[in-house]
Amino acid sequence: MSQINQIPTIWTTGWTEIFNTGTWRSAFPEYQLRPSPCHNACPIEGEIPVWIQQLKNKDFYDSWLTLVKNNPFPAVTGRVCHHPCQSACNRNHYDDTVAVNAMEQFIGDMALVENWSLPAPLPEINLKIAVVGAGPAGLSAAFHLRQAGCQVTVLEAQAEPGGTLRYGIPSYRLPKDVLAQEINRLIETGVKIVTNSPVAFPGDLALLKQTYDVIYLAVGAQKPKKLPLLDYTASWVLDGLSYLKQINCQQAPVIGNRVLVVGGGSAAMDVARTARRFGKEVALIALENRGILPAHPAEIKEALEEGIKLYDGAMITAFREIERGLAFTCVEVTLDPNAPVGVLRPLPIEGSDFTIEADTIITAIGQNPDLSNLDNFIKTGNSLIIVDENNATSQPFIFAGGDATSQERFVSFAIGMGKKAASIILNSLGRKQECQSEIQHGKIPEVSYSSINTFYFPSMPKLQEVVLGVEDRIENFKETKIKINVEQALLEANRCFSCGHCLKCDNCFYFCPDMAVTKNLAKEDYEILEQYCKGCGLCVEECPRGVLALKEEIR
Amino acid sequence: MSNPTKMLLTGNHAVSYGVMLARPKVIPVYPITPQTPILEKLSELQVLGELDADIMTPESEHSAMAACITASLSGVRVFTASASQGLMLMHEMLHYASGARAPIVMANVNRTIGSPWGFWPDQTDSLAQRDTGWIQYYTESSQESLDTVIQAFKTAEQVSLPAMVIHEAFYVSHSLEPVEIPSQALVDQYLPPFQPEHMLDPSRGESWGNVVNQDMYYRHRQGLGEAMDKVPEASILADREWQTLTGRGYGIIEEYRCEGAELVIVTMGSMAGTARETVDNMRKSGLSIGLVKVKLFRPFPVETLRLALVGIPKAIVLDRNFSPGVGGILHQELKAALYGMAAAPEIYGYLAGVGGLNVSPAKIEEFVCMALKEEKPSINSIWVR
Amino acid sequence: MRTYEIEEYKVFNSGHQACPGCGEALAIRFIVNTLGPNTVGVVPPSCIAIISGPQPYSSMRIPIYQTTLEASAASAAGIKRALSARGKEDVTVIAMAGDGGTYDIGFQALSSAAERNEDIIYFCLDNEGYMNTGAQKSSSTPHYAYTSSTPGGKPTRKKNLTEIMAAHQIPYVATATVGFPDDLVNKVQKAKQIKGTKVITVLTPCLDGWGIADNAAVKISRLAVQTGIFPLYEVENGDRYTINHGSQGLPVTAYLSQQRRYRHLTQEQIDHIQADVDYQWQLFLRKSKVNSFG
Repeated sequence: MSQINQIPTIWTTGWTEIFNTGTWRSAFPEYQLRPSPCHNACPIEGEIPVWIQQLKNKDFYDSWLTLVKNNPFPAVTGRVCHHPCQSACNRNHYDDTVAVNAMEQFIGDMALVENWSLPAPLPEINLKIAVVGAGPAGLSAAFHLRQAGCQVTVLEAQAEPGGTLRYGIPSYRLPKDVLAQEINRLIETGVKIVTNSPVAFPGDLALLKQTYDVIYLAVGAQKPKKLPLLDYTASWVLDGLSYLKQINCQQAPVIGNRVLVVGGGSAAMDVARTARRFGKEVALIALENRGILPAHPAEIKEALEEGIKLYDGAMITAFREIERGLAFTCVEVTLDPNAPVGVLRPLPIEGSDFTIEADTIITAIGQNPDLSNLDNFIKTGNSLIIVDENNATSQPFIFAGGDATSQERFVSFAIGMGKKAASIILNSLGRKQECQSEIQHGKIPEVSYSSINTFYFPSMPKLQEVVLGVEDRIENFKETKIKINVEQALLEANRCFSCGHCLKCDNCFYFCPDMAVTKNLAKEDYEILEQYCKGCGLCVEECPRGVLALKEEIR
Repeated sequence: MSNPTKMLLTGNHAVSYGVMLARPKVIPVYPITPQTPILEKLSELQVLGELDADIMTPESEHSAMAACITASLSGVRVFTASASQGLMLMHEMLHYASGARAPIVMANVNRTIGSPWGFWPDQTDSLAQRDTGWIQYYTESSQESLDTVIQAFKTAEQVSLPAMVIHEAFYVSHSLEPVEIPSQALVDQYLPPFQPEHMLDPSRGESWGNVVNQDMYYRHRQGLGEAMDKVPEASILADREWQTLTGRGYGIIEEYRCEGAELVIVTMGSMAGTARETVDNMRKSGLSIGLVKVKLFRPFPVETLRLALVGIPKAIVLDRNFSPGVGGILHQELKAALYGMAAAPEIYGYLAGVGGLNVSPAKIEEFVCMALKEEKPSINSIWVR
Repeated sequence: MRTYEIEEYKVFNSGHQACPGCGEALAIRFIVNTLGPNTVGVVPPSCIAIISGPQPYSSMRIPIYQTTLEASAASAAGIKRALSARGKEDVTVIAMAGDGGTYDIGFQALSSAAERNEDIIYFCLDNEGYMNTGAQKSSSTPHYAYTSSTPGGKPTRKKNLTEIMAAHQIPYVATATVGFPDDLVNKVQKAKQIKGTKVITVLTPCLDGWGIADNAAVKISRLAVQTGIFPLYEVENGDRYTINHGSQGLPVTAYLSQQRRYRHLTQEQIDHIQADVDYQWQLFLRKSKVNSFG
């Protein structure tokens, strides 16, 4: 008889570690960096959970570096961005969105106070790029191209760079010195900005093509739309674009005491609130009802607080001169639901006529790019420069972006377009760009609210964003937004779920009943032991932010 | 104490003194008539500072034995005592103890088992535990109880099996006798400190009690059996050494005046004392009667009994116990032990004194005469009174 | 944001035979890894015994003694007394038993050990049934729950072991659960420092017995607390109550609806459970206020 296995019958001396319980499982957990909804909504593809986490850890400088990797103007966008990130934020489903925008401003402002510089660009390469227009799109493209080492010259028609940021948005929303400081940083990295240098179409373009390898047209939408009803040569008719531009150049155009502003967007609000600051009695008339006005709800609220009278869902049908000023006949309207997308077709409501008296009327009903003399040289259409998915125009080596090519009139969109254009331009010139964003856009599913384990996030109200009281702001152009302090920023940063971005909270490590989740100290990462993991999924469930997912294992 | 002391002690108190000398460290115990004087005396000795042991008083005998096993496995010498119902309640743990190879020593005071209730001497309680893997010694006097407790520790620790030292209610437990209590120095010389090979101790890192497979269980039982098989020899050596030290030895059986006997009485416990008188009386009358007292009941000393009874024409077994469907337990065991032996005696089994009924020397003489008269014994045990 | 910082000794080994996602295994991990190597444990027949490992392999790097079902407290007391007699007073002796071995067959021994203030930590890993033998009822099974021996739902309420043990006025009694591991670890550390009998009842959801998903043990245990069904609290010396995590007013349906063992409940039964939970919680608050001296 063979030797019977002499395993002792009592007094245990071995460990269960020899058992490969990994054979039990049918799925194995995988760590994956996943895009957050805020990142996916951001036109600039900002790594929002990353810089918020850095802020939370008081690594303010690193937070700023992460921000400017994509967007060189955080102090600007922190003030004027329409923050689609906040609309997309998963925390909306829980208690309230995370105040991303306010934190961005906080970091941007700190950078200005601390006088931080943008990272030095890569060594200079023999690529010359001409950017036409120093607005947000042009400056963004210039920044990214310069970072890659290109020799970049920005040609700006006006006396100062900034475009809409400089000449459109009033200083109570965006102080001029903030803008100037952030633009100066670009110049410090070697971007050449030549002001007072309009580029005549098409002749100058041909000249530029001889000196530069690529041209990027970012000329914006500088041609105001006009109401056919009005004669813009009359002294009492102004277009909002030039009104704001004059104000932003410290000039005060002569306008009457009672001002009627036409339009429902941010520009109209800017016009109305600017006029109000000069002590004018201001009324605003717009086709859309209050609920669907294109302007930001906060802007509308502040405008109403400042005493602007709102006539929403109405339009002007006629006007006549009266003893003092003008009388505008208006009628209430609804918008035709069957109108094509993007087209506002007002339907007057019978018997709802009313009159508004005013001394001056200023229209801010939209802008188009000035394409005169350009159409024969470059393909245009729908009042825009036509570009393909690579931002290329019909002319070789000429790209375009910003308001000139798109009806999406948001600062962040323009900055995003400039960044993407830079990447495409470099690729087209044979310079392989490594994808700046770690997350392959669109390839990995974004983290939805169902992946968030809210137990780990005690409910906390969003930080209160406060503006100056009406009395304090109505007679001046002081910045209306009150800056948040560091305590507020840190508290708010704590509210970020950090969707899809592992914070090494160790939950996966702690909640494994089999100790199969280990910490690889050398790699500073987690490692799941194949021989023990039973595939229960506790780690996935207890991950607060959806970094883990179970992948089916086929044997 | 360096010299032996002589005291008048009951069987129970004698056990207490024996235990004290053996130096156990933990004594989990639950009271039950007629065992209580054992634990009362131990408590008294502890309070007086003469017994350095932790006496634990749990809520039941089952818990007491559970604590005995773990205390023993944690490396200390352990003692407990019980009787009747308490022993029955412990039954599960008795198996557990022998399976754990824990060398616990327990004194059991034989008492009738309910129902119906009774407090009388009857050995069925401990005999009903004969399959549990415990060594069993039956004593007939206070002195023997004291001496056997100390010997039991020595043997138990040598073979790593638990042992019971058993005496009957009242006849032994409560009867006063002069007892010689040996000195502590003598007992220390005889009984070395308990040093088990395995222990529950963080410094050892071994665990006990995990589920085993069939092969392991089989081997475990084999091992246990092998240890049991060593007990007769170990007991004899322990008893011999004790005799050398104290002058008192008992053997694993005692053969009393069996030379040339035509009939030998075989019995256990206090009945042996009564039978001794009967043997003397009948020998005086010219009848050759002898007595074999079985002291070591488990393991059953088959070889020794065979040697003692070969060639004896008749043997009567006096059983102060009863197993329904079988009869007298000693009767059954003896028949099995002698089965197939040439020149084995005819065995008569008598159920004498079941339930504590008094059995006098005269009565035993009657039983002997009854057996001498009959030609062939009944296969079954006979009720006699 | 809640994060955990738990220091662990390496006592619990991987490779044990617990079901994937087992709440009890998680509890064992936190208990033994907090107590450390200078510990001896007693385990009766239960899932814990299976998790302890088959001969000759152990899942714990401390000596574990497997006892009979009714004898955990007595066995642990025996070890503690023996080790103390050998001069090793600093060894922590624990029992880890299921609710069967604690509320039912093991209750007598536990009550007795508590009366003698035996210096042990007694952990009841409570999965509310005799789960290891196929989910039969125990006196810890809650009202109306399905078990294989109460297929129509248990007709009686769950016994309140913690209050019973508190009435013994032992130094420390507490409840804990795997959904609050930091709380459990704190209690283990606290118990380790106290002399006398300490009883901690840990609610450990059983995936198969309760009918919940493999990844749900932690989540369910939290719901038990947040609905007020299983408040986490401590009682020191029988009269000082501290509530660590109490009811947050979540309706019991949030908890019941996730478990197959409650799938058969009628609305009347659910209402009854809710009313009972509300009543017990008020009673508990009153009692803890009255009994708490600070």
